[in-house]
Amino acid sequence: MKVLAEVMMGNYAIARGLVEAGIQVAAAYPGTPSSEILPGIIEFKRREKCAIHTEWSVNERCAMEVAYGAAIAGKKAACMMKQVGLNVAFPALLRGMHKTIKGALVVVSCDDPGPQSSQTEQDTRLLATLFYIPVFDPASPEEAADIAYCALKYSFEHKTPVILRSTHRVSHARQAVPLYPPGTRKVTLHEGINHQSPLANRQSRIMALGIVASGMTYSIAMDVLQDIGISDIVPIYKVVQFSPITGHQSPVTLRGSSTPGLQAFLDSVDNVLVLEETDAVIEALIDRGKKALGRRNGYVPKEGELTYDVVKGVIERAMEKAGIEKKSFVPDSRIEEAMKTVAVKPRPPKLCAGCSHRSSFYAMRYAFPDAIFPGDIGCYTLGTLQGAVDTCIDMGSGVTLASGFYNTFHQDGKVPPILASVGDSTFFHACLPPLYDAVTTNKKFILVIMDNGTTAMTGMQPTPQTGITADGTHTRSITIENVLKGFGIGFVKVIDPYDIPLMIQTIKEAYDYLTTHQSPVTSHRSPITNHHSPAVIIARRECLLNARGRVKKMVEDLPIERDCIGCKGCIKFFGCPAITFDEERRKVVVDDGICVMCGMCLIVCNMMRQKKGSSKF
Amino acid sequence: MKLEIVCAGIGGRGVLLASTILIEAAIASGHNAIASDEYGMSQRGGSVVSLVKVGDFKSPLIGRERAHIILAFEESEFYRNIAMLKREGIALVNTQRKTLPDAIYSLAQERALACYLVDADRIAKEKGMIQAANMALLGFFAFLSIEPYTRENVERTIKKRVSEKLLEKNLEIFQAGYMGAKEVLS
Repeated sequence: MKVLAEVMMGNYAIARGLVEAGIQVAAAYPGTPSSEILPGIIEFKRREKCAIHTEWSVNERCAMEVAYGAAIAGKKAACMMKQVGLNVAFPALLRGMHKTIKGALVVVSCDDPGPQSSQTEQDTRLLATLFYIPVFDPASPEEAADIAYCALKYSFEHKTPVILRSTHRVSHARQAVPLYPPGTRKVTLHEGINHQSPLANRQSRIMALGIVASGMTYSIAMDVLQDIGISDIVPIYKVVQFSPITGHQSPVTLRGSSTPGLQAFLDSVDNVLVLEETDAVIEALIDRGKKALGRRNGYVPKEGELTYDVVKGVIERAMEKAGIEKKSFVPDSRIEEAMKTVAVKPRPPKLCAGCSHRSSFYAMRYAFPDAIFPGDIGCYTLGTLQGAVDTCIDMGSGVTLASGFYNTFHQDGKVPPILASVGDSTFFHACLPPLYDAVTTNKKFILVIMDNGTTAMTGMQPTPQTGITADGTHTRSITIENVLKGFGIGFVKVIDPYDIPLMIQTIKEAYDYLTTHQSPVTSHRSPITNHHSPAVIIARRECLLNARGRVKKMVEDLPIERDCIGCKGCIKFFGCPAITFDEERRKVVVDDGICVMCGMCLIVCNMMRQKKGSSKF
Repeated sequence: MKLEIVCAGIGGRGVLLASTILIEAAIASGHNAIASDEYGMSQRGGSVVSLVKVGDFKSPLIGRERAHIILAFEESEFYRNIAMLKREGIALVNTQRKTLPDAIYSLAQERALACYLVDADRIAKEKGMIQAANMALLGFFAFLSIEPYTRENVERTIKKRVSEKLLEKNLEIFQAGYMGAKEVLS
């Protein structure tokens, strides 16, 4: 049979494996690097005409429990999330180990070495092995499809939840992945000693150095060994699966570690280098003391992604320790010398040109420059660059930290303005419980809900307000203002953040509302007040990426270059990526390829504000 | 055959589409290939790097001084990633410059780099779609016919990957880039 293959990213490959294995229920909350798995499942269910229930749940715990419920009732289910999302979903997972499922439950949790789009580098395998949950760790998109297929079957056969752990380099790599009709995938998991390895045929020989690796780090190590020409003298052992073994001394072990394979490998090398992301899990499980070179003795960096260059450096150091002579790579320092002479523009991630969050942050900062700005998780965490986001802990913490700050300052008698920001998807995900507390204990802060009608950071997934489900069908919309009404919050304003002057004015009104409506000091005994804190502003404008193709120019002419006097005010407080500063000409330059002609920069331009510019408002 | 390609640029300017076309064209012509992309935060107007490796590779990551080719869709991103380029590597840079800055020029000489400065923005702007400057650079690249890439297989992949609405314009800009290379190089 000729097998078709299609180029796809790792997340789609995981989706493909699950669909081929006969998944019936899939629920997820988006989070980089996991967000494309559910859309992948929807795509393949459409192509294969399978009956699969798919949904974007409001948060990871809901996704986990929807899938878990289905698995208890006998369905083959999966839920998908990023590694920090697993923390939100953990309670159900822990219960799930006790053989309560009749069907199957695969939890896909994607780690983010670096981290590139997360707060931490948390290793899903560490949590899983701590609680005896089997984990699979794919090393490429192609393998991810096979492993997803196996993981669902494994869970069904053993009646236990299993975790498929991916990392962003697997999830977002692209490769040709073979497609099989559902139920017919041919899978051989390549675990153990690579067939090209010198130990594959000569088990007994003692080698100076061997490598044990898993996931993408295994793939990188294979390339590095090839590239520096030592794959014939350094054998490598690949770990794919971490499973609990009944009666074994350590309840979770690497598959093979109790069998001759891994033990024999470890015995046949003088030094074993352990390469894995992101924590020391294999290293702890194989427990080879000084013989093991890894994170615990500083051979492998304790933080940061294991890139090609990092892995190469680590392998070279391990070779040195093992007494393998090989010329080390010496970087050409002339490159750095030449680089010193050219101006490379710093390009930190920024909100898109024309993003309405930028206007909101500008207004917040303008209205109260000395306020405390608790922030949250999403595109709008980038408000830090405008000095309008001070904290970013986890989803929902924009509201809870605002409450914490208010309590603190209130206790000490002097409360500064507190301006919290959260996004619309985050509002539904995690802000409702903290808001109950904020209302019942009358916390005086301003909450700006940055409502762009989508979950933008992770790729435009719908929110409960969108009125659209995961597969695009229409449903009821739950609007934010209706939810707030239920809370009995007195100050709720919905405004377009492109109207920066109105936004500034509204923020000031909200502050006046909180400070002039003097209420009795609240305590548990006298919680009655004559108004209802906190004050909420919904800054609503559709995300530009979502509205692609429908974005209208707000101005016909953009005289910001012409009028520029070089004060850099717009660079410092607005920071639109379409505007850069030309140090030679002492003027701003607009990049026509990025600019969307929203005209917001004209409102913040000092020249325009002083009515000296060519635009008048 | 082994070929390691770095596509560097800024978010929202077609880096990802260019690397998609490069990996798919390579696979369509019978080679193994693997690519690595960046999503999330880096898509927000920041520096974006997408890597393509053609041949017998396991990982999609490229090390320092290992890339055969850099396609730089923006000038600063070329300098930022120049350390990835190996000796005798090839760079295509989207810039209005006619010559490289002195120090980079000497570096290119010392490391025997072939650097092509292509005003892809101008080519795309002339055709009325500056966002498709990536196509002009790809057109120029196709003219170099570095195995496994040919004008035909790159063009065929563009037809598969670009939406119908934008296809005609994209192809026009691709061809203009190709012709630009032909004028300069032959």
